[in-house]
Amino acid sequence: MRSPKTALILVGSAKPAGQSTSEVLGRYLGQQLQARGLSVATMHVARALRTPERTAALLRAVDSADLFILAFPLYVDALPYLAVEALERLAAHRQVMPAPAPTTFLAIANCGFPEAHHNQTALEICEQFAAAAAMTWAGGLALGAGGAVHGQPLAAENGMTRHVARALDLTAAALAAGEAAPAEAVSLMAQPLIPQRMYLVMGEIGWRIQALRNGVLHRLRARPLANHAQ
Amino acid sequence: MKTTILNGALPGDNFTDGVAQILAEQQAARGGQVRTWTLRDEKVAYCLGCFECWTKSPGICRIDDTGRAIAASIIAGDLVVYLTPVTFGGYSSALKKAVDRSICLVSPFFTQIDGEVHHQPRYRRYPALLGIGVLPAPQPAQERIFSTLVGRNALNLYARSQRSVIVYRSQPAAEIAKALRSALPASDERIAA
Repeated sequence: MRSPKTALILVGSAKPAGQSTSEVLGRYLGQQLQARGLSVATMHVARALRTPERTAALLRAVDSADLFILAFPLYVDALPYLAVEALERLAAHRQVMPAPAPTTFLAIANCGFPEAHHNQTALEICEQFAAAAAMTWAGGLALGAGGAVHGQPLAAENGMTRHVARALDLTAAALAAGEAAPAEAVSLMAQPLIPQRMYLVMGEIGWRIQALRNGVLHRLRARPLANHAQ
Repeated sequence: MKTTILNGALPGDNFTDGVAQILAEQQAARGGQVRTWTLRDEKVAYCLGCFECWTKSPGICRIDDTGRAIAASIIAGDLVVYLTPVTFGGYSSALKKAVDRSICLVSPFFTQIDGEVHHQPRYRRYPALLGIGVLPAPQPAQERIFSTLVGRNALNLYARSQRSVIVYRSQPAAEIAKALRSALPASDERIAA
């Protein structure tokens, strides 16, 4: 891998801008890359695929980036639909190019389960995409308990996300030097944000509070399709 | 046996449509009811990640389109089939869009299965899951990923039985039919949760 000068960060969440954990992770890594002299652009997949013109702009942006970084939430054990469609289009685009640009690809996955390893299959899919799109695979970072980040900026100095920030710092340094994400960064990112039991209790309280606000606390376990089920 | 086929073929993929047809004919010949959803032709919006199907209208997606009917069709079936061109080892965008909309079929609450955290089931019974991946030629790494993904989906959907099979575009129809027949579960493979 050669040292990159430009990076494109694609936020693979369907949530509005500024609200997703994927964006928090992608933006932090982007800031660290900028601090190391790279020019960084950020796009949101929901907007980028909205029209053929915007999709063409996404393809051009990836073509012109030395580094392509996809930050996405885990949906049903894999990348969400929007990210899959973006990768399908990118691979198809690059497969008909006589000499696709030598782009390096890194993926950052986060899931709502406390264990980071739920993201493993999705990251393996990303690695296969890199091969199909003639990109250099720089590795994948997996975060569990992504809901605990809750769209809040990462705290580099202290707080529960400090090791996430450290993982991204290490990754930025490696990428800027033309290297893949180091094993230490992968390991740091996968560390639990908070004790599992605490996360599960907080999660369950959170669901109940939301349901209470929506007036459906007593229906949280409803089976509205039970007539369809045998 | 009631079978729901989610056909994730992209536009122009006549081969995968043909696999759906073979499968539907096989299940009908066994006396079963078959509902095939050719997803690229259906009006299905993508999951917004809003979790309103858990906390605002429990069990029902806020988006009133065919995605709701597909989720109902999944839970109504004895067998759900995820049929897809293998896409980097995973599902096509067409299939993934529908699968993402199925989270309303489980509960937001957590449980542990073999020491790993998952969501609790919402319903008492879930269908068996068969994943059928289509590839141009053998690709061991993608095939392994596909098999793992189907297994993970089955775990999270509380499918008591799950299988995955890969068919190749170069295979003759008779060979494909044989592979599908051997992958189909027995008619009583359904979970009571």
